Amino acid sequence: MVFVPACIVVGLIPFLTRDEYILRVATVVLMWIGMAGCWNLMSGYTGYIDFGPVVYFGLGSYTTAICMTKYGLLFFPAVVLSGLVSALVALPIGIPTLRLKGAYFAIATFAFAETMKQVALEFDRTFGVKFFEGSHGITLPIGGHDNTFFFYFIFAVTVAVVLAHYNVEHSKFGYGLKAIHEAETAAEIAGVDTTGIKLRAYVTSAFFLGLLGGIEAYWITYITPPDAFSVHKTVQMVIMTLLGGMGTFLGPIVGASFLTLLSEVLGTKFVEYYLIMIGAIIIGIILIMPKGIVGTIKDWKGIRFI
Amino acid sequence: MDTVFIQAIVNGLLLGGVYAAYSAGFSLIFGVMGVVNLAHGELIMLGAFSSYWMFALFHVDPYLSLPVSMGLLFLFGYVVQKYIINRVIELPHIMSYILTFGIHLMVANTALQLWTHDFRTITTSYSGANLAVWGLNIPYARLVTFVLALVIVAALWFLLNRTETGRAIRATSMDKEVARLMGVKIHHIYAITFGIGAAVSGLAGALISPFVIIFPEMGLSYTIIAFCVVVLGGMGYMPGALWGGAILGIAQSLSATYLSAGISVAITFLLLFFMLIFRPTGIVGKGIVT
Repeated sequence: MVFVPACIVVGLIPFLTRDEYILRVATVVLMWIGMAGCWNLMSGYTGYIDFGPVVYFGLGSYTTAICMTKYGLLFFPAVVLSGLVSALVALPIGIPTLRLKGAYFAIATFAFAETMKQVALEFDRTFGVKFFEGSHGITLPIGGHDNTFFFYFIFAVTVAVVLAHYNVEHSKFGYGLKAIHEAETAAEIAGVDTTGIKLRAYVTSAFFLGLLGGIEAYWITYITPPDAFSVHKTVQMVIMTLLGGMGTFLGPIVGASFLTLLSEVLGTKFVEYYLIMIGAIIIGIILIMPKGIVGTIKDWKGIRFI
Repeated sequence: MDTVFIQAIVNGLLLGGVYAAYSAGFSLIFGVMGVVNLAHGELIMLGAFSSYWMFALFHVDPYLSLPVSMGLLFLFGYVVQKYIINRVIELPHIMSYILTFGIHLMVANTALQLWTHDFRTITTSYSGANLAVWGLNIPYARLVTFVLALVIVAALWFLLNRTETGRAIRATSMDKEVARLMGVKIHHIYAITFGIGAAVSGLAGALISPFVIIFPEMGLSYTIIAFCVVVLGGMGYMPGALWGGAILGIAQSLSATYLSAGISVAITFLLLFFMLIFRPTGIVGKGIVT
């Protein structure tokens, strides 16, 4: 089991380097592993393509921001509350949407995320209150914490997400999720509570996304609806997971690390052509290795040993 | 009934016609291939830019350059489907979503490099001119676009239902294996279908070019609208685009008039969300449900 030593090595990064840039990049990588992992937990294993996971991230950001600025809550309770709020919203949203299939589920989740973005943008102006602060955004109090502080917070959540994957790979719950992917009707006939299992995965991933959203808000200290609920966050989660391998334990870890580091390199060297290149890379990966990096390597091994 | 209300309804209907035109191609592509084309808005953007350049370089009226936009986009769509999307068409649908998103990124950002971030408009002699009847104001450009949009949807219907190519397209969408056994070259039909979808979207882009702001990143918001229209009208059901367009247009126009422009977008998505949950087959119940 390489998991524990790997965690210890990653956890020691702040002690190994004093370089703020490396530490920041490492934190970003960990955050994306966590986010892609949340998406993989639900969509990767079940095959239900969620196009609106960012809504729970955004809700988390806003819960932390509003709790800290309007109700004077401390950072830690505010973040825990963010996770709970996201999970609580995911429950009533998940029950009807998880009945939908294929493109319909994807579009419904997307619609919900966009609705929340617009509500956050327009609520105050329409009802004449000061709550979401609309397009002005919210500036969070600066706590004077260094990057190490945020590194460990995000590290903790990401490890929890990875542990949840481990649980999925080794439990009845996980078999249920995979069965939904393979043949949902057959699973249902075999006595798997498909709706319940999907809902559990959906709410769990919403909870972790809420936590990550809350931490990120306090880290970057300024949030606006278009950023917090950005469709590009959703797309990144999807692409990273797909790149690594959907429905695999290592998929989001490999995909998120690869794409974040690649963006870091391309983004600084080719500022202008960066998005064109990312587009080309996405197309290339889909055409050349549709099973993702992890899936393709597994296939190679399969050919060698059988 | 006061004029404000009637004006809002008229605006909504005019808007709805345009929505119908630029969602018909999206619906066609989904209905035949099950591809949710996330690069749809880019087709509209390319259509709008082609008439912009025809106007800026050769002073051709945007309504006269429609065939050019249509032809260019047909070629573009045909090539994209034939050489890129056809290669994943047999894989799970998620692959095509991601692939078209990659195309969206490439096209939008290449356009951004070529044509910069500038906002462009086409100002013709009739821009801003209104038809005033019974105290209502109807901009000429929007009226012409509305009528042409209806013509496009009708032409598409005719093509699908009254021609040999249309029969092959419908056969492929019903059962691709049987269509293949009957001698239909389904990959060729897919390329033709995407070409037609792209051509119609390009036309729609050219049609709206006289009264919208044209810029490289305009695409995504149009893709989102097309989503809404197609779900409201029924996915893959062609005349549904008219229903969806009309409902969405009126809903947006009424909420923009009586609430605020920003909240009308939220209402759009709420409508879409509840529609999917309670009536996924669309308002007339003829959409495809997977």
